Amino acid sequence: MTLQFQPPPPDHVAPERMVEFDFFHIPPGVGDPAEIWHDLVRRGVPEIFYTPRNGGHWVFLDYADIVEAYRDYSIFSTYQTPVPPIEPFPVVQPQAVDPPAHNTFRRLLAPMFTPIAVRGMTDELRRRADQLIEPLAERGHCDFIGDFAERFPTGTFLYLFGLPESRLDEFLALANTFFRSTDPAARAGNITAIYAVLDQLFRDKQANPGDDIASAIVTARNEAGEPHDWTDVLNCGFLLFVAGLDTVTNTLAYIWRYLATTPAAQQHFRDQLDDPDAFLRAIEELMRINAVSNLFRRVTHDCEFRGVQLRRNDRVVLPNTVANRDPRVFADPQTIDLDRAVNVHVTFGVGPHRCVGSHLAKREVMVALQEWLRRIPPFELDPDQPAGSVFGGSVMGFTSLRLRWDRR
Amino acid sequence: MRVLVDISRCQGHARCEDICPEVFATDAIEGKCVIADPQVPPGLEDKVRLAVRNCPEGALRVAGDGKGGA
Repeated sequence: MTLQFQPPPPDHVAPERMVEFDFFHIPPGVGDPAEIWHDLVRRGVPEIFYTPRNGGHWVFLDYADIVEAYRDYSIFSTYQTPVPPIEPFPVVQPQAVDPPAHNTFRRLLAPMFTPIAVRGMTDELRRRADQLIEPLAERGHCDFIGDFAERFPTGTFLYLFGLPESRLDEFLALANTFFRSTDPAARAGNITAIYAVLDQLFRDKQANPGDDIASAIVTARNEAGEPHDWTDVLNCGFLLFVAGLDTVTNTLAYIWRYLATTPAAQQHFRDQLDDPDAFLRAIEELMRINAVSNLFRRVTHDCEFRGVQLRRNDRVVLPNTVANRDPRVFADPQTIDLDRAVNVHVTFGVGPHRCVGSHLAKREVMVALQEWLRRIPPFELDPDQPAGSVFGGSVMGFTSLRLRWDRR
Repeated sequence: MRVLVDISRCQGHARCEDICPEVFATDAIEGKCVIADPQVPPGLEDKVRLAVRNCPEGALRVAGDGKGGA
């Protein structure tokens, strides 16, 4: 049990905008962690409110406000944003740097994650998905998180970074402590350990560059023709490590949980296996309805936003899951319509810091689902699923998801 | 009908390319929208309009079909 310091409510917040809300806390019995956010909307709390929990922060609930916060970096910075606050926090490249300085690393990463580049990874992703799914088919059951949803994106990370498969368990352990541990000492040691691994990895790639992303980052040169600052190189590696694992794992978990409880949706995807347009449209809808990330911004200066007084260094949490079900933007927003034609979801954010890896993430989901449906017959939730296997926070998701199906 | 992109708004979601690859592509440098020929081929108007409506940045617009402002 850790005691958390709760500062008194700041005096610039109007009493009617104060709401008690802890987005890390999922009450017992809640099966879908996103429901704590949608419950706020149902309760009719102000669309811009302040909670004293987790160090104190604003929450925006209106799609238009969330989009504006993503776009207007003159007010809503990505620099030093953790909620609850941790300072100093690594200046992750390029995510934690405001434009135009963020362009240095954005332009370095972007070409490696374009739709064209990602299409070139498809065969390897398919091979990796197959390798994980094939042994499961015979078993008739699995824990989808431990057996697939964690291993697939972590393996993809190893592949992109030119690392051997033998290091999968090491990276899984690092990631699990990073994402799940609530023990401050374990967390601090874990970040040190991740940076030590990255430091060694980049040194190896510097000495023996290969055809991989780590080599591309470490051998890149700045405008003066010099190597990038070593700290920035490590912070860029750190971004790729933390941004592409937990998000993909839990997006997969959400989607498989939905399919396991919705036989008609499973059948819809089985029927569309040979129709890439329809399959992609349905995936897009699953991305809308299963937005796992709640992203942070920090206010750069005292100002008014939509008539609300904000103060410098105030934190803002932007729940994509709420934006994606805003009835002012989406027709019949709570309905999962796998043929939804217009779908301007913000699952990957918008604006200058929009997820650089989104095309890879979507491709991972698509390939995983295609290979799964080709090998696994209709599946359902295992009634032995332990209760309470959910968590909230910046990424929401599941610690366990037991599935079962008829063995071949 | 013509379709235009405001490249300063485009952030590379590539939803346009997903929906209508006949008209939209993305570049290999930043993954941003590329329209080789703004003149929309006959028969693709509806797909292009759908792509325009699906741009999360509002970076696309159609011109010269009497429905969208030029």
